[in-house]
This record gives sequence, C-alpha cells and structure tokens, in this order.
Amino acid sequence: MRMNPFDIRTVVLAKHAQHVVLIHFPIALFITAVALDYLAQWTKNQTLAAAAYFNLLLAAVSTVPAVATGFAAWQWALEGQQLKGILLMHLVLGCMSSVLIWLVCWIHWRVRRHPAASLSTYRLPIEAVTVLLVGLTGHLGGFLSGVNGPG
Amino acid sequence: MRKSVTIGTFLAAFGLAIAGLGAGAGNVAASAQPKPETMEVKVDNFTFGPAELTVRVGTTITWTNRDDIPHTVVSTDKVFKSKVLDTDEKFSFTFSTPGTFPYFCSIHPKMTGKVVVQ
Repeated sequence: MRMNPFDIRTVVLAKHAQHVVLIHFPIALFITAVALDYLAQWTKNQTLAAAAYFNLLLAAVSTVPAVATGFAAWQWALEGQQLKGILLMHLVLGCMSSVLIWLVCWIHWRVRRHPAASLSTYRLPIEAVTVLLVGLTGHLGGFLSGVNGPG
Repeated sequence: MRKSVTIGTFLAAFGLAIAGLGAGAGNVAASAQPKPETMEVKVDNFTFGPAELTVRVGTTITWTNRDDIPHTVVSTDKVFKSKVLDTDEKFSFTFSTPGTFPYFCSIHPKMTGKVVVQ
C-alpha cells in the first residue's frame, strides 16, 4: 500500500495501528479494575477499592478513543458499508462492552460521591459479564486483525 | 449387384470421412477464436495467491475468499474495489486496459497483490 504522509486517512489508519493499539488500554485497565474490586470485596481493603475505582475510571475514559478509532476504521477503510459476520459481531460486542464499562464506572462513581453509602454486591456479576464480553470482543478483534496469521 | 453395393459402401465411407474432416476443421476454427480468459486468485491465510499475476487485456480475475475471516480486494489506484468478502464469497473484475494494478486488503493492509495486464 502506498503511504502518503499528508493523507489523513493513511496516517490515522495505517495498518489500523491506532485502534489496535488504543484498544489494549480499556481492556487491561478494566480487567485489572475488576480483579482489584473482587480483591477489595474479599479483603475489605479500602486501598484496593480505591485502586479499582481509578482503574475503572481510566478504563471508561479510554473506551472513547478506542471506540472512535474503531468507527473511523469502519467509515474510512470500509467506507461505512453494511457489516456482517465477525465484523458486525465485533462492532456490536465492542459497543455493548463500552456501555457496560461505563455502567460499572457509574455504579462506583455514584457510591464514591456519598461516602456513607457502600457498594452493592450486584455490581460483581455485572463486572464478570462485562469482562467476558470484553474478552470475546478482544478475541474477535485479534482474529480480525490477524495477529496469529503471517499478515 | 454386389459390385454396386461395394461401390455404394465405399462412397458412403468416403462421404463420412469427408464429413468428419469438415467437422474437425470446424472445431479447429472454433478453437482458434480468442476466448475471454478467466483467472482465479485465492485469498487464504492472509495472503493473495498468486500475489502477482500477469494477464492479457480482457482477462477477468476472480478473487475467492478461502479464509475464515473477512477480506477485501481494493485497488491502490481506486480502479476496483470489492465489498467485504466473507468465507467463500467472490469478487470479479475484468481488466480492459493494460497496466500494472497493485491492490491490497483494506482490513489487513499488509496483504498486497499485483496484476500486470499486457
């Protein structure tokens, strides 16, 4: 592929580097946040709970560029054509994962605003389901990007 | 009587032979006409195979996605562009002008190929 350094599409989407790189931040931060939250729940350790919260916050914020670059790749590289199969599943699961990450973040944020309140345990299955969705989305993304292939 | 039957048989055999030759000549004439060529490129394991193809003007190339994941076939010079091809889906393009036509997969830009039309 000819590379033109002055073509914004080429620069932003060169080998989909931006989406593929940025997507690792919400994945890693969210899984770490959930692990810390489970540990905090188990040990009743407030330091772990705080660490979980800040990881969660960063995970939610980092979904924004990850989703934006994913949509940009769809609109620019594939010119917004109707998706199907794995691509569609990756898009839908990615959006669902992002919404759930923000939901979990909101649950924690709401409690943090009122120090007297405590986190409900119903968040734990939501976090577990979100981790599963994030994992599945990432697996499909890896499959699509061909990380296991020669390309 | 026997003689006339023999002559008749000989003439019939001769006629058939001439007819056979004519039919054969017709086949030769038919095969001499230039037929539009078709070639196939397999998309598999994140590669185009063959990656480089030299064809004559008028050739139609069909790309078939044999991979488990979607791919596209997009000309670098925007001469042709396929939709997203799922497994076993095909895309064809007829090259009517000579030249070199590099192409790639827009989902996996490391996948590249080239068609040389002479």
